[in-house]
Amino acid sequence: MKYLSLLLPLLFIALFAFALVRRVRLYDCFTEGVKGAIPLLVSIFPYLVSVLILSELFEQSGLSAALTRTLSPLFSALGIPPEIGKLVLVKPFSGSGSTALLTDLLARFGPDSYIGRCACVAYGSSETVFFISAVYFAGSKKNLARPVLIALFSNFISLLFGCLLCRLL
Amino acid sequence: MNVIFAVVFLGAALVFLLADPEGFLPAMLAGGEKAASVCLALLASYCVWLGFFQVLEKCGLSRRLARALYPAARRLFRSEDRQALALACQNIAANLLGLPGAPTPLGVAATQKFLAAQNGYAAEMLFVLNATGLQILPTTVLALRAAAGSASPADILLPTFLATLLSTLLGAALVCFTALPLRRKKRRPA
Repeated sequence: MKYLSLLLPLLFIALFAFALVRRVRLYDCFTEGVKGAIPLLVSIFPYLVSVLILSELFEQSGLSAALTRTLSPLFSALGIPPEIGKLVLVKPFSGSGSTALLTDLLARFGPDSYIGRCACVAYGSSETVFFISAVYFAGSKKNLARPVLIALFSNFISLLFGCLLCRLL
Repeated sequence: MNVIFAVVFLGAALVFLLADPEGFLPAMLAGGEKAASVCLALLASYCVWLGFFQVLEKCGLSRRLARALYPAARRLFRSEDRQALALACQNIAANLLGLPGAPTPLGVAATQKFLAAQNGYAAEMLFVLNATGLQILPTTVLALRAAAGSASPADILLPTFLATLLSTLLGAALVCFTALPLRRKKRRPA
């Protein structure tokens, strides 16, 4: 755990030292790269806003809570603790929302409890599918139903598998 | 996405109409506000990582990485575009290391290149690899567990890795088997 935080500084030091050996003009080069940040953000901005407004409506209208309640018998039948149902539902939409939920779950049940461990595995093994699809395919007219369904399905299967592993390991 | 947007939006709007008509606009504005703050956070991490990747590119490391992975990547993405494949490989590497915010600019650039070349298959494959959370070091989870006072924060590494490996393999296999056979005509059967 302690060594993990060394990864990022080491990565940067190694690369920049190597670049100096290769006689790369670091400042000019780094600045050149940063130039791309604003155009990238501008291209994904409208999609990001739409997805986040949608996820906020989903959350605040109580739809997500209602859906969690409806699905919780199904979840417990499949071996997923119902406490983490909401996390599972929110994760595809919003990274910050699910991070807040995970923090809350860890505080309430403790990080080393079964529920806490399940929540961590559920969070770590899935991704913000709708968010990524909005950002990656910003501006394309491609029909995304198939890849999005594949991603959601795979994440769900891995959730089942992850909860099972938490009980065994 | 259009269907999901319509269904969820109208559903939520109906609930607001019946239960709490005054809360509707504030909820949408809260979403917009969140988008604005997420954008700032994203911009910050894009700046750092795009600078980093430009240095990586300039000193020839990204080309070397791409050359090493080219044979595997070419098959995985069914693409011959060296530049796009290099971006895709770096995207996967950044994902595996759990560098927060780093995969996105690379993934977006690679996807745009794949789509420009009419290679929808590669774009889908890259999307599913990203959207199934392929990761060796779930840095966020580890940090949160440590912050919550866990006795062993690294306890969940193995189950998380196995679960995400399963979802990534499953997703990649599904993309591979359900791909429209349009593009295959150009390729020799493997």
